[in-house]
Amino acid sequence: MNKEYGWFVVIFIAVLFIQSTVVDFLISAWKPDLVLITLVIFAARYGRGPGATAGFLVGIISDVMSGPGTLIGLGALAKTITGYFAGSWARIAQEPSQFIFILFFSGLVHDVLYFSISTLGIEIEWWVLLQWHMFGSLLFTTIVGLLVYLLVGRRVVEKE
Amino acid sequence: MKIQTYLSLLKRPVALLLLYILLSVLLMQTGDNSALRGIRWTMLQVVEWIDDVQAGFYLTETVMKENETLKAENFDLRMTRQQMRELYHENQRLKEMLDFSERASLKYLLARVVGSGPETGIRTFILNVGSDDGVGENMAVVNPDGLVGKIKAVTPGQSQVQTLLDPNFFVSARLEASRVVGDVGGGGDFELALNHIPTNIPVEPGELVLTSGMSRIYHPGLKIGVVTEIKEDTRDLFQEILIRPSVNFRSVEEVFVVLTPLPEVAGK
Repeated sequence: MNKEYGWFVVIFIAVLFIQSTVVDFLISAWKPDLVLITLVIFAARYGRGPGATAGFLVGIISDVMSGPGTLIGLGALAKTITGYFAGSWARIAQEPSQFIFILFFSGLVHDVLYFSISTLGIEIEWWVLLQWHMFGSLLFTTIVGLLVYLLVGRRVVEKE
Repeated sequence: MKIQTYLSLLKRPVALLLLYILLSVLLMQTGDNSALRGIRWTMLQVVEWIDDVQAGFYLTETVMKENETLKAENFDLRMTRQQMRELYHENQRLKEMLDFSERASLKYLLARVVGSGPETGIRTFILNVGSDDGVGENMAVVNPDGLVGKIKAVTPGQSQVQTLLDPNFFVSARLEASRVVGDVGGGGDFELALNHIPTNIPVEPGELVLTSGMSRIYHPGLKIGVVTEIKEDTRDLFQEILIRPSVNFRSVEEVFVVLTPLPEVAGK
């Protein structure tokens, strides 16, 4: 178990760097959230508790790695709840369609939490935000997530 | 409640969730302290460095692609420039020839040199005009510099010119100053001989040699060349005179075929 966690630490660090460098560099408008995909795969394998812990740690690192305007703790909060949420569905994430369902709703929970808190006190058009940012990125994340799941994620999620 | 009891509570996922939420909220409240700013600054430097490396790779690739494109463009431009130079020179030549053609009273047919004979030296040219264009045997061939030769053979689409440099070519010639008539021939190596000029006739280097008009082929007054050397031997009846052809046979590209026949030929 500890060795498996060790591998996941390495994978999370790698994904965090890819997310903040390659993905940001290559895609400008809508971006797939690779960290979220990894977190959901991790949570689907290990459940709510480890999912929440991984979400919290990865969220803090994401916050620190983000620009100076990012509120530290915000990503941690959103990802903690997302990890917990994804972990709650761990038992059913055995088929691609089920995984996609979990990934999509986990992403939705994450984005709604993140944007709700970060835009507190600011008047924004929620529909525009949902339409142009959240759903675009969420769709992108879901498609990339499906590919990742089919390539490697399925073997990771399946319990021995 | 003992510490072990609290720790055992953390084994429950809900308790963990609440703990992390609490910690996250606390971080949001107090997150902007100097220690965190330092960590964040360090992390950003690392990310920025990776970005720079990545941008460097991208830049190198872009520069290489751009370099290839520019090389191709450069080649194209050089080729175009070369073609333009060729066209410019051709234009100059044709303008000169047009000017020559307009000034002259004879009827000319412009022809392009498309080949030369298989023999050594420039003894024959192939022209892109033939009997279909009105070209016939023994017609004079000239260019603005002077006499080139005569038509030796004709096909419907092409004709062969025997040039002044052919050793078998002879033409009646006249010295411009003394008006004395001799004959030019026996050429070779871009030099001609003016024969049968008596030794008592004064000849100076640089004097023009023209066609005499005593011919059924060549109109009078066509430039043949310029005297370059006189070998005078009082024991001989005639002088040895060398002349340089006025036509530069190495660079002939277009010529005129003289279509107007000489009066006596026309009379026939």
